[in-house]
Amino acid sequence: MRTHKHVPGPRVAAALVAAVGTLVAAGCSSSSSSSPSASGSASSTSVSTSQCGTKPGVKATGTPIPLGAIATNQPGTSFTDIPNMAAAYFACVNDNGGINGHPIKYYIETEQTNPAQIAADAKQLVQTDHVVGIVGNTSILECTINHAYWEKLGYFVVDSGIAPECYSTPNSAAINMGPRYSSDGAVQYALSQHVSKVVFDQSNVPGTGYIAAGPAALAAAAHTPIVQLTENVPIADANSVAIKEVNDAGPNGAVVLNFTPPEALVILQAAQKLGLENRVKLWGCSTPCDTDFLSKALGPKWNNKLFVNAEMTPAETTNTPTMQLYKAILAQYGKSVSGGIGSFSEFGFAEAEIVVHALESVTGAYTVASVNAAIKAVSNFDTGMVCKPWTYGSYPMHIPNNTDYTVTPHNGTMVVAQGCTDISSVDPQIAAYRKAAGITG
Amino acid sequence: MPSWLDFQPFIASGLALGGVYALSGVGTVVLYQATGVVYLAFGAVGAMGALIAWSLTNAGVVGWLAWLVCVLFSGAVTLGYGMLFGPPLARRDPLVKAVATLGLTLVLFGLMDLLWTTSGGQSRAITLPTDNGGFTFGEIQVTWTQVIGLGAGVAIVVVTSVFLRYTKLGTAMRAMANDREITATLGVPVRRVEAAAWLGCGVIAGVSGLLLADLVALDATTLTFLVISSLAAALIARLRSITLTFVAAIVIGLLHDLLTPIQSLSNYRDMTPFVLAAVALLVFSRRRVFSASREEV
Amino acid sequence: MLDLASRTAPDGQPPMLRRPGTPALIRAGVIAVLFLFVLLALPQLLSLYYIDAMTQVAVYSVVALGLGVLVGRVGLVSLGQAAVLAVGAWVAARLLFATTQPYPLVLLEAGVITMVAGTLIGLPALRMRGLYLALITLMLAGGITVVLATTNFPNGGHGFLGYDGSTVHIPAIRRPSIAASDPAYFRYSVLVAALMFLLVFAHIRTRPGRAWAAIRQSEPAALAAGINTTLYKLWAFALASFVTGVAGGVLAGAVHYLYSIGFPTQDSITLLAVVLMGGAYSMWGAIVAALLLQLLPALLNNWGVSADWLTILFGIGVLQVLTTAPAGLADQVPKDLARLGGLVAGRLRRPAPPGDGSP
Repeated sequence: MRTHKHVPGPRVAAALVAAVGTLVAAGCSSSSSSSPSASGSASSTSVSTSQCGTKPGVKATGTPIPLGAIATNQPGTSFTDIPNMAAAYFACVNDNGGINGHPIKYYIETEQTNPAQIAADAKQLVQTDHVVGIVGNTSILECTINHAYWEKLGYFVVDSGIAPECYSTPNSAAINMGPRYSSDGAVQYALSQHVSKVVFDQSNVPGTGYIAAGPAALAAAAHTPIVQLTENVPIADANSVAIKEVNDAGPNGAVVLNFTPPEALVILQAAQKLGLENRVKLWGCSTPCDTDFLSKALGPKWNNKLFVNAEMTPAETTNTPTMQLYKAILAQYGKSVSGGIGSFSEFGFAEAEIVVHALESVTGAYTVASVNAAIKAVSNFDTGMVCKPWTYGSYPMHIPNNTDYTVTPHNGTMVVAQGCTDISSVDPQIAAYRKAAGITG
Repeated sequence: MPSWLDFQPFIASGLALGGVYALSGVGTVVLYQATGVVYLAFGAVGAMGALIAWSLTNAGVVGWLAWLVCVLFSGAVTLGYGMLFGPPLARRDPLVKAVATLGLTLVLFGLMDLLWTTSGGQSRAITLPTDNGGFTFGEIQVTWTQVIGLGAGVAIVVVTSVFLRYTKLGTAMRAMANDREITATLGVPVRRVEAAAWLGCGVIAGVSGLLLADLVALDATTLTFLVISSLAAALIARLRSITLTFVAAIVIGLLHDLLTPIQSLSNYRDMTPFVLAAVALLVFSRRRVFSASREEV
Repeated sequence: MLDLASRTAPDGQPPMLRRPGTPALIRAGVIAVLFLFVLLALPQLLSLYYIDAMTQVAVYSVVALGLGVLVGRVGLVSLGQAAVLAVGAWVAARLLFATTQPYPLVLLEAGVITMVAGTLIGLPALRMRGLYLALITLMLAGGITVVLATTNFPNGGHGFLGYDGSTVHIPAIRRPSIAASDPAYFRYSVLVAALMFLLVFAHIRTRPGRAWAAIRQSEPAALAAGINTTLYKLWAFALASFVTGVAGGVLAGAVHYLYSIGFPTQDSITLLAVVLMGGAYSMWGAIVAALLLQLLPALLNNWGVSADWLTILFGIGVLQVLTTAPAGLADQVPKDLARLGGLVAGRLRRPAPPGDGSP
């Protein structure tokens, strides 16, 4: 879907959805009320959204600054919450003075994991919409397909990474750690609990070998055997998957999953129904499992049994001004953010924060050159959303977020089990990044 | 090669998976017997019913009422489809009737993705009260829901076989599925019988939708296209024998899960239904002489 | 034999490229002008976004053409053509990474290898038809999807499969040197598509086409008339697989990167849906089907409409076509236009009522 997020307004599609929803069944539309956003809006009354701009309450009326994003949106796999949250942040900025009086005009392109479409979307943003910056990209394939295009045109992308190229190329820097480094984090936590064996199971989507290399390196360094598995998705036989994992891991082992939330839930629930949750020492999961949806659906049996790597600061239990602003913007501008409070909207918020910070440093015209120079120059910026300050920099590769939390379900929410911990440099890619960025340790 | 002990737990899970395929496959054959239509929207209708039930329970509606709404929804949609598109397609090839239900599938599938989005990482699950009880078999726990799933398959097989064979309405349905016009000239109230068949099948779709949402996943894509794998069992039975469909489904489920611990084949295990169906159909067709009748393979 | 139309399908002289009462010469002229416009002028008029979309239209028009041969000409409904396309793309990608052969040769090889595979799939068709054939092809497509998901598409790795899962820089699948840019590759795709259309046209106008028409009408009658039905049915599968394989090769270069998640089993279903909507009995129908499948999503995406509405639209389209317009849009729209034209002409002949603002 392509939306012009200049001023938030009811979209045709949304209106039609609502109309159909009432036709089909009155109960359908209530699905959104069960999302965690309801709880977020209540606690945010103390903070005003006017803090997101330099001139509170003054609408920006200058020439717009066009920005763009590409996100996957297909049945079962949709990442539109991230650009939608970024759009909410920009809408808030526009209502409060904009960027030196200039509003941000945000173009969101969506794709259905079709490489031709992803390439076309990028050309549309550049040629037709004349965007001067790319922020909020979240796509299974986009980095692989478009990284050369962005490099050629000099765009420095701020994204949520999934594909290997989001982390291994010069013009892409992500706010999240992506599947490999998040799986690293989950395996690292399991190893720290002295498990005797690790079973790492992931969905059979592009890049499994690249992702598997991280946990393999970590386990080898800890002299712990690791079993690598992949599953075709969607999973129709979660029972046999769960049995296989538990059998392979053994009573002192750990099972670490890298799946989308619905698939992970299917496996964990199968394990629970089969009575397998206590047959291994612990269960681990990469970032996607860090949603309250999962915690609610799973129930108390998994408290302190399932440990999820979390890249973003836990929103529910953190009360910093940034986190309050995030919740306030979500409540006031985030109507289209269907998942409410959660990692996805935190990604979008942080990415928008970074780019607004960069735009504010631009003097003169907002061109591709000036805006991207500013984005690239972002250094040690405290987003308030991740463990450490965030830096773009002129490096051949970018893994700017490489320190993370571990959370565990607790009465329907996720709570911190372990505070900020560096991902080990035993992963050769992490080591390469730290060397390039001049980080020691 | 793993030892016998390694295979043991997969027998139980294989039976459970077989039960899943059986529910869906048997439902398809029953529909075909009663209406002459391969109802490919079987999974989509049930999935949408289950998603509505999920929304209702989340809105605070008591469980049984939500489940009832799910079953009624599937019944109503199926009946509506049958009444609207049954008559204009009545004289067409069975294939045309089947492809038309793909139209309904696509409509429902699109609606589900619009209404129950996954863009915020939403994951949904239906839990039935029968999930919490059960017994232990071969080191693993078997829930009552799995038993009910398998039992529902058996129940559908028995009840519909008896119904189609021995009741007046059932005989009328079979006659109509075979030849609508002749049945009409014999004085059978065709529209009413048809409506009963569609409604009954919609109810079966709703019940299986609810069970499958619990046993497999409450996910529109998974449940909608689960029909493709479950069709294998129906195809092995050549859309005729309900009992054979059930047996084929159990065999597919068992074989599928028993391949899981074998490393080299594990990732290919999802091919099981397709390979078995293809082999079965090839063997059947090899034994047949060429036949020009429209009803034959 | 299978008959998707409730009334008898247009038969005898195939109706493709034929409008009632239009002389053949004018028709050929119109097609030539249209072709030159698409080839020369269109890339100048469109943004790169739409050029990319139109390249996909060219690719999928050939896929729809292949399915149209099976469904419309012979009456064999396949629910596995998206899997055949995936096979063609896989073979082409493997060859393009492994060799430095010229692109047309790779396309030819992809076509031939896919043809062999597709003919094998067609073997069960010799004894089956209608519903069972459709469902067995769906089963085979399901199987192919699982194999491709496990083996993955080549990404420049070594070995038979050519897949290296651990690479952090996946190389792009190459394009022919004369068609490296997007507009040039669009022209290249249109040319290849035109060749495939000519190939199929030549078949339909000669002996195979007549044999297929006879088989579609009645297989026993065709047998009685001395037609080798086995040969011609296999021939249809071979031709459809060949053009689909070539289309897969063009697709590989168009997208640069191929993923098994891009070829789900349900795509075969959508493909049949759009072919039925476009019209399986005419070659124009294949183009309409490709426009529905590739250009419409690009347009809707640009207008901010969710892709889910497209799925819903396809569903409604299938129901509409099957119940009221069995020959598809390519047949219905010209008729509707003719009817509209007749109405307008009738109105114009009468004196316009005073105060009517129409010209």
